[in-house]
Amino acid sequence: MNKLRTGAFHTGMILLSLLWLGPVLWVVVMSTRSFDDIAAHGVGSLPRSFTLDTYRQAWTDGGELRALINSMLVTVPSVALSLGLAAMAAFALSRFRIPGRRTILLLMLAGNLLPPQILLIPVAKFSELTGLYDTLWALIAVQVGFGLGFYTFVLHGFMRDLPGEIQEAATIDGAGTAQIFTRVMLPLTRPALAALGALSFTWIFNDLLWAITVLRTDDNMPVTPALLALQGQFVSSWNVIAAGTVIAAVPTVAVFLRFQRHFVSGLALGAVK
Amino acid sequence: MGALGASSFLSACASSASGPTTSNGSGAVTIQSNLSSPQAKAAMEKLIETFNAQGKGTASLNTIASETFRTQLPTYLTSANPPDLYTWYAGSVANDYASKNLLLDVSDVWKSLGDYPQSLRTLSTDASGKQIFVPMNNYWWGFFYRKSNFAKWGVQEPKTWTDFLALCETLKSKGIPPIGIGLGDTPWVASAWFDYLNIRINGAPFHRELLAGQQRFDDARVKAVFTRWREALPYFDPKGKAYPFQEATTALLAGKTGMFLIGTFFADAAPKDALGDLDFFRFPIIDPAVPLAEEAPTDGFFASAKTANPTGTRALLSYLSGVEAQEAYVKASSGIVLPANPRAKASDSPLVVKGKAMLNEAKELTQFFNRDSSDALQPTADTALTKFIDKPDQIDAILREWQAGAEKVFKG
Repeated sequence: MNKLRTGAFHTGMILLSLLWLGPVLWVVVMSTRSFDDIAAHGVGSLPRSFTLDTYRQAWTDGGELRALINSMLVTVPSVALSLGLAAMAAFALSRFRIPGRRTILLLMLAGNLLPPQILLIPVAKFSELTGLYDTLWALIAVQVGFGLGFYTFVLHGFMRDLPGEIQEAATIDGAGTAQIFTRVMLPLTRPALAALGALSFTWIFNDLLWAITVLRTDDNMPVTPALLALQGQFVSSWNVIAAGTVIAAVPTVAVFLRFQRHFVSGLALGAVK
Repeated sequence: MGALGASSFLSACASSASGPTTSNGSGAVTIQSNLSSPQAKAAMEKLIETFNAQGKGTASLNTIASETFRTQLPTYLTSANPPDLYTWYAGSVANDYASKNLLLDVSDVWKSLGDYPQSLRTLSTDASGKQIFVPMNNYWWGFFYRKSNFAKWGVQEPKTWTDFLALCETLKSKGIPPIGIGLGDTPWVASAWFDYLNIRINGAPFHRELLAGQQRFDDARVKAVFTRWREALPYFDPKGKAYPFQEATTALLAGKTGMFLIGTFFADAAPKDALGDLDFFRFPIIDPAVPLAEEAPTDGFFASAKTANPTGTRALLSYLSGVEAQEAYVKASSGIVLPANPRAKASDSPLVVKGKAMLNEAKELTQFFNRDSSDALQPTADTALTKFIDKPDQIDAILREWQAGAEKVFKG
């Protein structure tokens, strides 16, 4: 009976992971097929050709290097800035008796519940008013602004549960507020920061909507709109797009592998009191 | 992590500092282009390079994914500091923007385009009588087929609707779905059938009035279009509802369908070795008394009324409409397109020669459903036509709904 259950469990899980990996494998296989093969037999057929030239095409003709640099120029500062600001806000809201702190927190979270689509035109117009339209600054500002509410909420929950005695001990030892924040709170919040960092990196790196809203020059486009630009008006080279997608997935996968440990423990830490 | 963030932050600052000052005074003319397929993009890059080398001004090309471009075009045009020049479609879509005073008057450019056909001039003129568009090229629609397959099946190109139905019957008896179509993801392909049947039965002027809201979709004349269509409906490939036109192309080339009413752009989705085997025939004549019209969507450029450098923009437009630039574009882009300039030579492949002759014979040219009306009206057509193909019995109700949907669009 027990053996049967283990067997069923494993078969089930194998099938489930195949379901999960199927599309990824499909993209990888497609990226090695030639255009004529896809044109003659359709995107869904088994591969009848093998080429790695698609990767060269995506890299040079598709301008993916430039796009990846743009993505990093936006993602790294956005993650650092939004997590830094969110940590400060969460510290203040969770450890001090600021009047109306609950309302402030709920207001920040409420902003996240708005569908971003209704804010597209205001954001485009506002970035034009401030003269930031079509610069990477605009994208960084938007990403920081939209991430802040959620990050603060998560970090607030985490910091609130840290024992108050630690803070009191630091105060008795003569530490000021700034010192408590940088030398006591931040190191203790590290698991949560690492988890949020990995998450926000993926979100910002994979964002398409805001990029095409505030940017219009192809040299400024991050990697997601650049992938979209590989599509033609009527006909697309799916093999090149697949190759570009594989390349674009590398940074996020790398970040996840690096922060994997924190990611799992960080999420669990916030959950149990 | 912190140090890395700080240094990237600084370099982000440095790289974007030159961003907002792209178009001031006599600076480079920016072209916002939706020609994002690799060949077309390369062709445009080459043209701009040549223009810059000539020393009459400088231009910079900005290629945006065509789908992004389509949704963002109104934002580009209405922004405070818009790009100067745009690739887009001639006809009512351009006139729409012109009526909102967003487009630059390019009548000056047209003074040197005296030998362009009157049809293109009319197409590029807005309601107030000034030219706002400069055409670059156009292409045609037709029933495409593989020569080797038609020979194998022993069938000929039909001329009239009766011939056409007979051909369909022959193919069907051989077990081949006669008419390919691809409506999944690309339901607009069905509009070609509507356009063609309407211009063959009721003529191009009625078609344009209908699309401009001056006639009704529940008119008896529109119903006549669908009565004809029903005669051909049993011959449609039943699988065509499920896949997009790109896969319908694959099916046609593999001999799984007989023929396919489509624009020449579909050839981009064909493997190179199949191109020589392709041929087409014109949409069959239904009523010989109706003046012959063909669909010939025209692509080209318009400029923003707010451009900071109108002289440079016009200079670039003059260059792009010249023989040299148009021939270079046709040669470099893989698509089967005809240059707008009558003195520019098109590619001399038999297919292009035949297509050009067909358009020259036509008394009138139409653009395509969305280009002759608006992108807002297109979804109403998609809904009505897919419904008709599914349930042809309900045509009266479908046309009533279409009319109601269209009225909403025209009211704005």
